[in-house]
Amino acid sequence: MKKFKLLRSVIAVLSVFALVFSLVACAQSKVEEPQTEAPPAGDTAPAPDPVELQIFAANSLEKALPEVQALYTQAHPEVTFAATQFKASGDLVEQIGAGATADLLITASKGSMDTAVEGGSIDDTTRIDMFANDLVIVKAKGADITVGSLEDVKSDAFSKIAIGDAATVPAGQYANQALNSIGLYSSDTGKDGEYDAAIAGKVVLADKVGTAANYVATGDCQIGFVYTSDIYRYDGIETAFTVPADAHKAILYPGAVLKASANADVANDFLNFCLTDPGAQSIWSQYGFEVL
Amino acid sequence: MALCLLLATPVPAGAVEGSQAQTQTQATIEVSRSGTDARAEGLDFAISDFSRLNKGTNKEYEGAYFGYRYPMASEDAFAVVVIDEKTALAYLPQNALNRLAAQDPSQGFAILLNALDEKASHGGTMLTSMELAYEYTSERSVERGGYRYDFAVEVEPGHYYATVTKDGSTDGSAGALFCDTGRVIPAADVFIEQEPVGFAAFAEFFTSLDLRPFWVSLRTSAVAIIFVFVLGLLAAWWSQRMGTRLKGVLDSILTIPLVLPPTVCGFLLLVLFGNSTPVGRWLLAHGIELIFSWPAAVLAATVVSFPLMYRTARGAFEGLDPSLGDAARTLGWSEPRIFLRLTMPLVWPSIAAGTVLAFARAMGEFGATLFVAGNYPGVTQTMPIAIYFEWMGGHSDVATFWVLVVILFSFVVILFVNGYASHTQRYRRVSADETDAVVRTRREVTR
Repeated sequence: MKKFKLLRSVIAVLSVFALVFSLVACAQSKVEEPQTEAPPAGDTAPAPDPVELQIFAANSLEKALPEVQALYTQAHPEVTFAATQFKASGDLVEQIGAGATADLLITASKGSMDTAVEGGSIDDTTRIDMFANDLVIVKAKGADITVGSLEDVKSDAFSKIAIGDAATVPAGQYANQALNSIGLYSSDTGKDGEYDAAIAGKVVLADKVGTAANYVATGDCQIGFVYTSDIYRYDGIETAFTVPADAHKAILYPGAVLKASANADVANDFLNFCLTDPGAQSIWSQYGFEVL
Repeated sequence: MALCLLLATPVPAGAVEGSQAQTQTQATIEVSRSGTDARAEGLDFAISDFSRLNKGTNKEYEGAYFGYRYPMASEDAFAVVVIDEKTALAYLPQNALNRLAAQDPSQGFAILLNALDEKASHGGTMLTSMELAYEYTSERSVERGGYRYDFAVEVEPGHYYATVTKDGSTDGSAGALFCDTGRVIPAADVFIEQEPVGFAAFAEFFTSLDLRPFWVSLRTSAVAIIFVFVLGLLAAWWSQRMGTRLKGVLDSILTIPLVLPPTVCGFLLLVLFGNSTPVGRWLLAHGIELIFSWPAAVLAATVVSFPLMYRTARGAFEGLDPSLGDAARTLGWSEPRIFLRLTMPLVWPSIAAGTVLAFARAMGEFGATLFVAGNYPGVTQTMPIAIYFEWMGGHSDVATFWVLVVILFSFVVILFVNGYASHTQRYRRVSADETDAVVRTRREVTR
């Protein structure tokens, strides 16, 4: 009886390990599938070495940039893109500081790019302002909400206001600058300040601008501060009020190649492609980014 | 997405050629799923290559300024520039007007245009949500309200733009809100790709679904559990044989990942292995990039699931009657033999349950993984991370799918643990009955 018990447990342990290893092997073969398919496509081109670019881009570019990347790969089959990281600009700069490798960085504010430059990871000569954007207050599609002016955010009609966390989200900083212009935020940089008591209890901080847009789309917040371009990438939100451009700093998206990039030339070429290719221009236009 | 828009807009008799139109009061409009093509019943023309340009650019081309420009679909494309909330300037080139035949553009053309614009607006201001006065023109250059509007301007070879310029200014952006462009083509030439409905939509959802998070989760947890199994057993066996004071400290250190928030574990791992620390630099110097890579995900999963294995194994070892070991020793069994043939069989049910729980914990790991491994689809994007990012990205359907997968998986795990426990309990119950019998016999004997 005891012997059988032991035999059974030994078999159990062995079978568990066998299962685990087969799963690992299976998973690895599954994951490698796309990679083994990729080379033939590249081989048809004369000779250029395949290049994979890793881009870190502001969250607001999440829908538009992949389309431009696909356009670039069409024109240059040897260049593919690793899964692009779309996070709050501040998070991306932190991530690069922590040692993540990337070829190209596009942020949604001068300030976040400046921080990356100070961190020493950016090739400053490649830095260029790529896009301009606008700040809007959005509401859920069809919601019975009117925002006639910036002051209206104090209205009792709104119990939750979605704003990007200014520590990392540039859209949050621009929103706070606008709020500062009417005395609802204590710091004119839009960072490190406090919300006025009139709205302090209502502000819901989002970890990236897309999250703020989603909070409004799902109805968890009545209004939120996002970019105009976010309206075109999220279903379920619409403009309630366009924040006057003079209420905040100019919304600019600087892009730059990283010093550590092994494919700096290709990265720079892609940066240039984004700004000059007519096909790319059409995509930016549709998603509401003004190419500079 | 509404694919067929049934517009109640009456199409006046005579506006559309053919006898059908005489009685038609509703036009069935079909818009392709890409939102680029549309046709309507009873119209012999269609719109193709449509796009809604929410922003243009003031950028110069090779040193020359062309105004604030919107890319047009082609040289013979139409462009509808919305000048302000009240006026729209619709440029229809001669060939487009020919296709409309004698029909007034404010009829069939406007219906197609509005349907396409609505689909492309995504919540932006729609043509139909403003009370626009349309001005139709086939002139290539029109001046309105201080701005000049030029159409089909070949800015670079083969690419045409609608431009807005203001004399003496290099910013014409204030002269337009947005611009719609596309081509008028014969209805027979347009191909409308239908949006799948019902089962087809379901099938498409699954074929387009990226299943990599499942494999990444499984791979990460499977490798992590090997480390956890070996390290957990060793740590439990080792700590059990230590002096009590040291044991208390060691036990706390080994158990603390269980009670710490995973973000704290992630933070500590990042601080320990990040590129700005000696350990991280040493690893980097030896060609190992740990942070934001798959091994980092395994590391995070191992750290957070280790305590579950360690605690259950230790509990099982401590629950053993030491006299059993002593008895075996008096029979001349060696220590390895005692461990393999006495201890392990006795503690195995607890160890198995601990392994399954640790595996499930590794599968569910989110905080520490996000911290040290990031969100790289196909590499470190596990199911929990996919759920978070898919939801935030507005793909709640994909997020729901993964939520269901995780719930199902957890349910199976719990079922397995319970089943296994009752199985081992049955064995215990049987032996308990036997002991009862022995006691009863003894009592009877003493009586």
